Amino acid sequence: MRLSPEQFWTYSEWLFQKNGLRDGFFLALVLAILGFVIGYIVAVIKHGPSEGFLQVARIIGQLFTVDIPKMSFRRIFAMAKLAIKESIRKKVLVVVGIFIVGMMFAGWYLDENADYPARLYISFVLTMTNYMVIVLGLFVSCFSIPADIKSRTIYTIVTKPVRPLELFLGRVLGFTAIGTLVLVAMGLLSYVFVVRGLRHTHETVSTSAEGTTGETSYANRHKHTYTLNESGRGTTNEVKGHRHIVEKVGDKIIVKKPIDDLTARVPVYAKSLAFTGRDGETNTGYNVGYMSEYQKYIEGDTLSSAVWRFEGVSPSLFKDVISYDMTISAFRTYKGDIVTPVGGIIYFRSIDGTAQTEPEAFKVKEFQVDRRTIKTKVKGSKDKKGSKDKQPAEIDFFKDIAPNGSFDVVIRCQDRGQYLGMAAADVYLRPNDLQFWWNFVKGYISIWLQMFIVICFGVMFSTFLSGPVAIIATISAIVLGFFGFFIDQIQSTNTKGGGPLESLIRIPLQSGSQLELDLGNEALQTAITKIDEQLLRAVVQLKNAVPNFDQLGTADFVAYGFNLFGGLLGRHLTIAFGYFILTSLVSYFFLKTREMAA
Amino acid sequence: MATTLAQNPAAPNSVNDPTNVVVETRNLGKIYRDFWGRKKVNALKSLDLEVRKGEIFGLLGPNGSGKSTTIKLMLGLLFPTAGRVFVFGKEATDVSKNERIGYLPEESYLYKFLNAEETLDFYGRLFDMSAEVRRERTEKLIQMVGLQRARRRQLREYSKGMTRRIGLAQALINEPEFLVLDEPTTGLDPIGTREMKDLILRLREEGKTILLCSHQLADVQDVCDRVAILHQGELKELGRVDSLLKVQDVTEIHASGLSEEAKKEIQGIIERSGGALKRMDNPTTTMEELFLDIVRESEQRPGRRGSNS
Repeated sequence: MRLSPEQFWTYSEWLFQKNGLRDGFFLALVLAILGFVIGYIVAVIKHGPSEGFLQVARIIGQLFTVDIPKMSFRRIFAMAKLAIKESIRKKVLVVVGIFIVGMMFAGWYLDENADYPARLYISFVLTMTNYMVIVLGLFVSCFSIPADIKSRTIYTIVTKPVRPLELFLGRVLGFTAIGTLVLVAMGLLSYVFVVRGLRHTHETVSTSAEGTTGETSYANRHKHTYTLNESGRGTTNEVKGHRHIVEKVGDKIIVKKPIDDLTARVPVYAKSLAFTGRDGETNTGYNVGYMSEYQKYIEGDTLSSAVWRFEGVSPSLFKDVISYDMTISAFRTYKGDIVTPVGGIIYFRSIDGTAQTEPEAFKVKEFQVDRRTIKTKVKGSKDKKGSKDKQPAEIDFFKDIAPNGSFDVVIRCQDRGQYLGMAAADVYLRPNDLQFWWNFVKGYISIWLQMFIVICFGVMFSTFLSGPVAIIATISAIVLGFFGFFIDQIQSTNTKGGGPLESLIRIPLQSGSQLELDLGNEALQTAITKIDEQLLRAVVQLKNAVPNFDQLGTADFVAYGFNLFGGLLGRHLTIAFGYFILTSLVSYFFLKTREMAA
Repeated sequence: MATTLAQNPAAPNSVNDPTNVVVETRNLGKIYRDFWGRKKVNALKSLDLEVRKGEIFGLLGPNGSGKSTTIKLMLGLLFPTAGRVFVFGKEATDVSKNERIGYLPEESYLYKFLNAEETLDFYGRLFDMSAEVRRERTEKLIQMVGLQRARRRQLREYSKGMTRRIGLAQALINEPEFLVLDEPTTGLDPIGTREMKDLILRLREEGKTILLCSHQLADVQDVCDRVAILHQGELKELGRVDSLLKVQDVTEIHASGLSEEAKKEIQGIIERSGGALKRMDNPTTTMEELFLDIVRESEQRPGRRGSNS
């Protein structure tokens, strides 16, 4: 699993420092202006310029003066209850049955030889739930209002004091409630499926003469070796992403249930990752081409290094040992001894460079998590007072290296001509893990948010489109989100020929896109560039108006055993709320201006 | 239900008093257009009418005359393309007017998966009524429309008449001041029709204003105070039912126990005074009266064939 830096921004960082709030407001502004302009054009066609303006103004005014203040929760709940009954009548709950059947067959197809069966099981249940719930949300939400209009039951609703927003909110609430019910059922079933599917144990088949090491039996297509300490306790080695606790009870050695496979690691990420080049000067890391765009590389046996800067790490997170995980990859420029992994060294250093731990050599474990520890009291070196010379010394981690919780982690590659690749999220500290079940629940909350967004969009489209067309529109909105990166590319790269306005001017002038636009007026050209910038920014914001389900998916966090941290969930919650407001307003305007009997 | 039918001779209190006007249309017009904005049908042309407080107003006309369009415009289900319509002095698109309106659509467009109690409870909630009030009204209305035995059955199992009754009950859930009834007797048997008409009259006695739209001319004649007759989207006639139906130059005499001599004498008097006797005969009852008599008698003496046969 590869995390990009923006994935581990905290909520407040995202909202304030990374402009989540500002972009949100800008998007709202763009949409409001766009909505007003479209609404006004339609009103002008229907009623003429002045009456059209009055109509639009009246509708906007009524939203704030009457339709929101006079909203009744009783009416909303009544309609939500109706939507639930309608869904149950449509046998929506059968989906849970289909899910059970799907899981029954899944056992046949899930690869038992997989390196990480837990990942496979968790990914499978989360992905299956995700797709099923989204499809469910899509169908229930898109057909409801059109069905009411077709059967004319809507006549008996809108001739009661029901306000447009209540009509929308009632449906959204009802369908979300039924979706939640289905999701809870699926979640419970999935949890049982995962836990039971992975539960296994082994017998001991061979024990060394002194009785401290041995091998387990072959079960679930793997076996372990184990080592016991003096008190007769120990663990097996890690195979297929898990270990077992082994205990000597009397003469018998008992292998217990698997551990580490269902975890929720709480990674503490670095604030930044910096690189130095082969000459020791700061650079952005080497690019090894299309091998990886995610990771940048350092060169072996040179001064090239990767430096992660951790800030504000609390000593209370760790007792005597600091656990950390690494997922470093290697890029070989020559084949060499292919069996021996590429090696590197790692050490911890104070920010001012006055103290550091003893470098520890490691061999890269490619494609897996390298679980490592360092004691808080460790050997290292410190500057002599008043000089830059380092002297070997006993290091107290939180006193000498991280007195205020900030420190650097440095990695170098040791093999000449080979490269080590890393990204910001590839080294993280690992305080105590959280409960897996809670992480699993958070994974489901994430799916719930996606379902909620789909329902909001479905109901919104159904306020002005027929059922099947509303489905296509909602699917399009979801699919468009996946292509958002194209628009990002247009904005981030310097497009030849300028932005939309400049390109438009170039066409009649027959000006080639490789040339500078020459209008003979610098002020005008600057104005065009500025307008283009804003237009492109607006386009990017509009792209953001379409939900990006790729980013909202968090199944990997749960499957790879990372705690789905509150900041990310909070961001998704905020985004979902934004869509909720957006779809509410669009629905309001359509319901307010729609002739129900037409 | 009582089965007395009577015309209410009382005219609205004051024609000119604006507080007495429940619905007012001014130059109301509706043109249906297709997707491209091309004119399809001119459904309603310059309609000016008023429905006054406390009256039963009938809207008559053949299919496609603009009756339903007028009702839908009044309820805000359609927007006018010309003119305006006010209900209780508010624009028809104003949702708050719906607090005081009850609407029985042409066919009872209700949720078939709900039962009678759930239906009334649901519509009660839409009026933001408390649970207690909803319970009380539901009970009262189910009794009133005679659906006690079918209260827990889903509406999908209802006959057309029963659906009509529950439709009426939902229209009355908020004790509306103004009731819009679109073809209220459609699908009802003669007894149901009579009961519906009695109920309409009773509602008027309670001070409610009723707008009734019907093809059943007899129904309109029986209950309406005033009628508007529409044809091809235009108002053709508007006035009090009794004055519209009165045939000014014909005199009707109803008498019983006359001998043949007496009849001849009356005929002579008519001829002497310059009139012409058009018809002197034993009257026939209406089919509705005959049917109701038979049913009534059958209920009193089950198993016996009626005396009229």
